[in-house]
Amino acid sequence: MSTKLMMKQVTQTYGDGDSTLSVLNNLDFEVQEGEFVAVLGPSGSGKSTFLSAAGALLTPTSGEIYIDGESIIQKDKTQLTELRLHKIGFMFQSAQLLPYLKVEEQLLYVARLAKLNAKEARQRAADLLKRLEISGKRNQYPEQLSGGEKQRVAIARAWMNNPAILFADEPTASLDYRRGREVVRMIADEVKKERKAAVMVTHDERMLEWCDRVLHLENGKLVEK
Amino acid sequence: MFLALREMRHAKARYLLIMVIMLLVSFLVLFVTGLAKGLAYANISAVENMPANYFVVQEDADHTFRRSQMTVQDLQTAKSVAGDANAASLAVQTSTVTAAENKLKVDVTYFAVDMEGMLAPRITEGKAVTNDQRGNVIVDRKLAESGIVVGSKLYDQATGLAWTVAGYTEDSSYSHTPVVYMNNTDWQAMRTGGGQGKTSAESVPYNVIALHGSSEQAHTITETLDQVEVITQKEAVSSIPGYSAEQSSLMMMIVFLFVISAFVLAVFFYVITIQKTSQFGILKAMGTRMSYLAWSVVGQVLLLSVVSLSISLLLTFAMNAALPDSMPFQLEPSTLILTGCLFIGTSLVGSLISVGRVAKIDALEAIGRAYA
Ligand SMILES: Nc1ncnc2c1ncn2[C@@H]1O[C@H](COP(=O)(O)OP(=O)(O)OP(=O)(O)O)[C@@H](O)[C@H]1O
Ligand SMILES: [Mg+2]
Repeated sequence: MSTKLMMKQVTQTYGDGDSTLSVLNNLDFEVQEGEFVAVLGPSGSGKSTFLSAAGALLTPTSGEIYIDGESIIQKDKTQLTELRLHKIGFMFQSAQLLPYLKVEEQLLYVARLAKLNAKEARQRAADLLKRLEISGKRNQYPEQLSGGEKQRVAIARAWMNNPAILFADEPTASLDYRRGREVVRMIADEVKKERKAAVMVTHDERMLEWCDRVLHLENGKLVEK
Repeated sequence: MFLALREMRHAKARYLLIMVIMLLVSFLVLFVTGLAKGLAYANISAVENMPANYFVVQEDADHTFRRSQMTVQDLQTAKSVAGDANAASLAVQTSTVTAAENKLKVDVTYFAVDMEGMLAPRITEGKAVTNDQRGNVIVDRKLAESGIVVGSKLYDQATGLAWTVAGYTEDSSYSHTPVVYMNNTDWQAMRTGGGQGKTSAESVPYNVIALHGSSEQAHTITETLDQVEVITQKEAVSSIPGYSAEQSSLMMMIVFLFVISAFVLAVFFYVITIQKTSQFGILKAMGTRMSYLAWSVVGQVLLLSVVSLSISLLLTFAMNAALPDSMPFQLEPSTLILTGCLFIGTSLVGSLISVGRVAKIDALEAIGRAYA
């Protein structure tokens, strides 16, 4: 078992002078290999901030963060970009696919960035699309897909480069209940199959069936209930 | 270029539109440039084609040939400095000639030159004129369009003197009028016979002395002769009446076209870039390097400008072939290359604004913005 994500005493403060807002407050958090963790919290509690810090999009005011054993605090912008490319997969609230790339190209693009061998990349893209049951839509543009199909492409894209961990910010928010649950189940499946880890932020308590752990973000800390 | 190409594939109409605009602008740039060059050539080819790099003019003549007066002594001095073959006198006068048989009236410029010196016209058809022959002239071939052939008689409107066209020369215009070359004997006859007072034949002054020599020789002449100035061929050309005004207004059009195309392109790409802010945020969040994104933006601009420039080059060639010969249009390869490079260069500079914008976009844009 290895630790895919470790956050130690992470604090994120917004604003300066008199009006400071501590969104994250000495937060500690760990995710192990094969684990699928859900983070719940009301709107404005800092879920997106938490995910940005964990996902190396934001350098927190203080604290330490390790992704797959690598500290991200000392890294500069270019190194962080590199780290995100190879170690982290992202899923966003609305799928956020690139409108001008066909489904398969969405995956091949990240593979190109990571300089994966073209043939292997094609193979892996085909596998992922098949597992997520959207092979049939391989050559379609995002505008021709339903919301659930888009999110499934987003999952495939997030896993494409074999990242250590996947971060999902409200991946079910734009989907109906049934589709939403299916998307969460597929994330869980991939985590188990590929021995990876995933952190999902949500405010929908009905989506937690396949999560190994459920944490609540309260007063800038993660607590179990 | 992976992204750049696929984006253009997906939004064909949008990029086609901007390409058409760039095509039209670059075509207009090439056309006006060709026109400017053609007009310039039609204007001053007689001076431009002279094998002289300097001209000796009177100091207070404002560089203008017709206002300047040089004497035979001045010519001797110039010859002694630069060598006999490298200095030649030139007298210039604009006038109107008629060709009676066909009731023609044409504005021309007389060039009186030493027919054995460096300014002697190159004959392309007919016979040369010697220095002591009377009543024979060499004319620019453009006069052929008016029906003046070798053997035609030309009558000077002011003096009534008559000359026979002995031959043609090519590309000899001065102030947009064809040049009529005569020898100094005829010139003196015209000036003395034309009611110019009782000056004896030998003392009829020249306007300028053309010089082929080094800058030191030019300097020596300025020192030796009183009240003269030695100007370069370029200065002489730009002092030809009408030349500077014509060229500078065309030049202004060209510069404006460049500025407009740079602006149109820059604004177009800037607006598109702003529209795609969230996409760039996502690309960065997924781990796309800034250099990759910059190349993507610049690559699109480069591709669009190169393609539209190539098409407009083809259009320009086609048009050049279709234009009648009388239309002054001239594009040399060097001008084409320079214009093309400038066009692509300004496009790229315009695209840098967008690149700067992309650089400012934060990967954080991607997260927490519901439908951005
Ligand atoms: N760049 C910023 N500057 C200042 N304050 C910020 C900034 N980003 C977020 N905040 C504040 O931090 C708090 C937490 O924001 P965050 O986006 O993390 O909440 P959230 O839990 O994701 O909410 P939601 O469920 O609505 O997405 C909010 O009060 C917000 O106003
Ligand atoms: Mg949020």
